[in-house]
Amino acid sequence: MLTTSQIHGGSVFKMGNDILVVQRMLGVKSGRAGMVKRLRVKNLLTGQTSDVGLDSGEKFEEVDLDLFQMKLSYIDGNTYVFMEQTSFEQYEISKEDLGDNAGYISPDDDVIVEMTFFEGKPVGMTLPTGVVRTITYCEPGIKGDTSGKSSKPATLDTGIEVGVPLFCEIGTKILLDTRDGSFIERAK
Amino acid sequence: MDILCKVVDNFGDIGVVYRLARALCDLEPALKLRLIVDDLGSFRSLCPAIDARVPVQEALGWTVVRWDTDAGGDHRAALAACGDPPPRLVIESFACGRPDWFEELLFDPGRPGKRFIVNLEYLCAEPWADDFHRMDSLTRSPLVAKRIFMPGFTSRTGGLILDRVFVEARERWSAASSEASDEASDESAAQDCSAARRAFAAASGLRLAAGDENRFWCTVFSYERDYSRIVADLAAWNRAKPLLALAAAGKSQACFLDAWEAEGRPFPVLALPFLAQETWDEVLLASDFAIVRGEESWARASLSGRPFLWQAYPQSSRHHLVKVRAFLDRLRPFLDEEDFKRVEALHLAFNDRQTDGPDTCGTENLFPLLSGWAGLEAGYQAFSDSLIANGDLARHLLTFLREIV
Repeated sequence: MLTTSQIHGGSVFKMGNDILVVQRMLGVKSGRAGMVKRLRVKNLLTGQTSDVGLDSGEKFEEVDLDLFQMKLSYIDGNTYVFMEQTSFEQYEISKEDLGDNAGYISPDDDVIVEMTFFEGKPVGMTLPTGVVRTITYCEPGIKGDTSGKSSKPATLDTGIEVGVPLFCEIGTKILLDTRDGSFIERAK
Repeated sequence: MDILCKVVDNFGDIGVVYRLARALCDLEPALKLRLIVDDLGSFRSLCPAIDARVPVQEALGWTVVRWDTDAGGDHRAALAACGDPPPRLVIESFACGRPDWFEELLFDPGRPGKRFIVNLEYLCAEPWADDFHRMDSLTRSPLVAKRIFMPGFTSRTGGLILDRVFVEARERWSAASSEASDEASDESAAQDCSAARRAFAAASGLRLAAGDENRFWCTVFSYERDYSRIVADLAAWNRAKPLLALAAAGKSQACFLDAWEAEGRPFPVLALPFLAQETWDEVLLASDFAIVRGEESWARASLSGRPFLWQAYPQSSRHHLVKVRAFLDRLRPFLDEEDFKRVEALHLAFNDRQTDGPDTCGTENLFPLLSGWAGLEAGYQAFSDSLIANGDLARHLLTFLREIV
């Protein structure tokens, strides 16, 4: 069984007979008994997406899925093309189905992801907890502020915007937590 | 309707549930309530009609069931009590979860009809409370729908519980006007307040010394900490305005009394015994100033209209300061800038700690707040009035349940 705390972007689980995949984490807040999450899920049987909450204490049946190690080969518009690492077969998945995860990967990376297949089709993926990305735009850094307590928006090389500490500059490489997009540390 | 409660810390959780149960039944006298509680001893402390030894009982018109009725796993009595009728409307207080035997009843696929869980979350001043209020929440079965219900400080949340007993007490104390500490105030109002305090103390078994009813009442109920800085400031304040400290039973009482002894007992202190919920409410309403903690007393202090200092439960990485700042943001519109700065500085200093303990001391200065008292009362009163205007959480909850069922 999957617990609330184990569910993140790319997770697949059952609700009754329906199979849901988490496309986006829209918010994670600290509730009384644990995290309260807001997420966008896609029903793999109906194709419908919906924004729902998820609070602590719930358990969900896992789905027996095929998992393959893959690397992003290239992006063609809204289609992400991945290559399986042993057969070298290529698989396509839409940016929408990748959800938040699309913002953490680039064909220039060596990041290996775990692609989830349902009935022979890729439906989602799981990333490493931390990925390194480069800041392509942010306001000038404030020297000396290394506390990390204040943040500013920064655009990354994948096009997404995240909050980073004030000391970050354009070109700074940062380690991001792929579960919620939060800044972990400056990458070495 | 079933209300589930797990007692995690002190009497806050069960206090909210007890208050909610009474408020719901006041609004809907025909409502059949089952309360499933893991610690009947704590429940009994608030509600003497409960027998902590009996796993399934009738009290105050409610069926009260112990969460884990038998350590050996025999839940037949609980199943019998909750199986007829089986659960359909469930209030899960503070995402407390559900006992396994209850889970079986709730998720039974052989039973017709949809069931509904409402997770009554904890009180939170952060903006996300508005966004998460009434939100759908997933369960493992489409037979069981779940929603999140957020108490809060804005009209976009469920508000706070305005139970009849509390509201009537608030109106009484408001009429009596607690302005005994204000020399410039109307003398008859001060006399009314003093008379009300005398009557309340006599009815509640609190022993006041002669003239105590005319003093500036400061109630203290917090987590453990070194109280030396607070006591020193109260001693200084006492030289200008005679003060009576009411040290509530619980973790902070010994800490406060230790600091008070070390300072040479500079003002009188009334060490309070554990009080019934209704009596505790009135202590807050009768006080000029209070230090409160947690959730239940924080909510009551917010509704009291009296100035207070809130101590949040400590969280890792000082995350509680996020919660304190969010609360201050709610309070800010009701205070003028200088008053707010003093309230803010005191709250942040008092809450800036990683853990609690009798040696934990902050950088708090209470005296600046007390010495600039004039604008605070009106500001906190206006804040409290705004919360009353948001409406009653119990009423909002019933309306919400009618909408979703």
